[in-house]
Amino acid sequence: MAKLSLKFQERVLREVALSVGVVTIGRQPDNLLRIDNPAVSGHHAKVYWEGGHCILEDTESFNGTYVNNRRIGKVTLKDGDVVLIGKHTLEFHAEAREYDASAQPRTNDRSISWQTQLDKARPPQLDPTMVLDTRKVREMLAKAVSTAAGRATVQTLDIGEIPLAALSTNISGHRRIGTLTVTAGNTNRQHYVLSSKLSVIGKSEMASIRLRRWFAPRIAASIHQREDEYFLVAAGKNIKIKVNNIGVADGQKELKAGDVIEVAGITATFDYEG
Amino acid sequence: MSLAFDVAAKTDVGCVRVSNEDNFGYDLDHGIFIVCDGMGGQAAGEVASKIAVDSLLKYFREVAQNKARTNANITLEDISERARVLGEAIQLANTAIREAACRDEAQAGMGTTVVCVLVDQNFFSVGHVGDSRVYLIRGGAIQQLTQDHSLVTQQVGLGFISAEQAKKSRLQNVITQALGSEDPVEPDLDDMMAVSDDVLVLASDGLTRALSDQEILAAVTAATGLQHACDDLIQSAKDAGGEDNITCMLIRFVELQWYETCLRRFRIGRGR
Repeated sequence: MAKLSLKFQERVLREVALSVGVVTIGRQPDNLLRIDNPAVSGHHAKVYWEGGHCILEDTESFNGTYVNNRRIGKVTLKDGDVVLIGKHTLEFHAEAREYDASAQPRTNDRSISWQTQLDKARPPQLDPTMVLDTRKVREMLAKAVSTAAGRATVQTLDIGEIPLAALSTNISGHRRIGTLTVTAGNTNRQHYVLSSKLSVIGKSEMASIRLRRWFAPRIAASIHQREDEYFLVAAGKNIKIKVNNIGVADGQKELKAGDVIEVAGITATFDYEG
Repeated sequence: MSLAFDVAAKTDVGCVRVSNEDNFGYDLDHGIFIVCDGMGGQAAGEVASKIAVDSLLKYFREVAQNKARTNANITLEDISERARVLGEAIQLANTAIREAACRDEAQAGMGTTVVCVLVDQNFFSVGHVGDSRVYLIRGGAIQQLTQDHSLVTQQVGLGFISAEQAKKSRLQNVITQALGSEDPVEPDLDDMMAVSDDVLVLASDGLTRALSDQEILAAVTAATGLQHACDDLIQSAKDAGGEDNITCMLIRFVELQWYETCLRRFRIGRGR
């Protein structure tokens, strides 16, 4: 038997079998399928059988009824159709079967309500901040990349032409990893790969570049990584650091490949891996 | 030498909006600082930002205590244990908002940005989702520590538009991630070492769009104290139009003399 699944934010709230008769949908309690939400009209829509077809009819609702994102007056439902009423979705299944979430098109409440607003050609209300459904965009991106190269645009969002490639992160590929090779001084190792966001130089246990000299500072300096760039920072005013023999005045210096750093009695060379 | 910190924070509805959807919170004992900028109509934005702040505070007050949070938290892996804990707290805040949105239909679709800083002795971790920001003022210069999760930032990053074009773009309002909108979220996490006199600025876009980096730097440098700096920043943003809610939180790291460390320990019961 055919049925309707009432969903809200991907959760199935109710399922209604469509036997003979009329299933009325609306906010008022006298509806067979009641959706208690201000966006839903008192008597919003109805579903009934006519000549072997299942018909969905909007009963002059205020906010409209949408099937597959198109506003409808009266329409014949096909298997898999997604009906939008307010913020709720109804999925029509021609044959009764076990509900299989993965087989259904992803219906995201937010993106649909967003499209509803666009369909009505009015700007988003109240709050101008919008969240792009990145998962959806990524799917679109994957499709676009597989079918066509170049700068395809997402026009359906109607918020201007967004270069699809702009939505893909990490296009440039791998990032460069810095290394530090100790040439003088007593440390726990000689060669360090600076893969973490923060590498600490000092005698402390939390330091990855561990100083072994007696009376070495607990925390002498840190090397901070931001994207491809590395910055050397002294831990305090009493700690002097030098890069290529020049003292670093305000305690922070971007490192370039081949730079020689001096801190707390060690000398080391910064470089990039590979 | 251990570092202590001072904090000041303020939020303002701005000059145009009728409600304030921003929220902030902090807990000095746990070194957690949070600013959130909510979105979603019908007052749900302020609900989302409130849930995020409360959920994060609760996590560090209750949950994190039961975990072995050791000091040996800098490992050779990408991020520290401290940053991982912060990331987990952000995920839980996301879940809390999504659950609340499911329970109450009036709050469906609500979301919020989050920026938070977790301080542990001389180190701090930064986590964020959305377009609220953290700046670091150090040695007379200002640097932005977070990259907005917004469309224009991605476009600038890929060289499609310039930073100047981004400021005028009508797509400025489109953010690519928010708490409440996706599960799971992908917060950016970072580790840094604090140095004495560092000032961290946590701010919602009501401040960062109204004032340039240099204006923020000038206001913080010129002010006599942190609270004054907060007041000045918010007033400047309002003078610039104040179209959105404005929130800023300032954290200053200060180096303590050994006897000050003892005094603080005595008074507060914790060494920081």
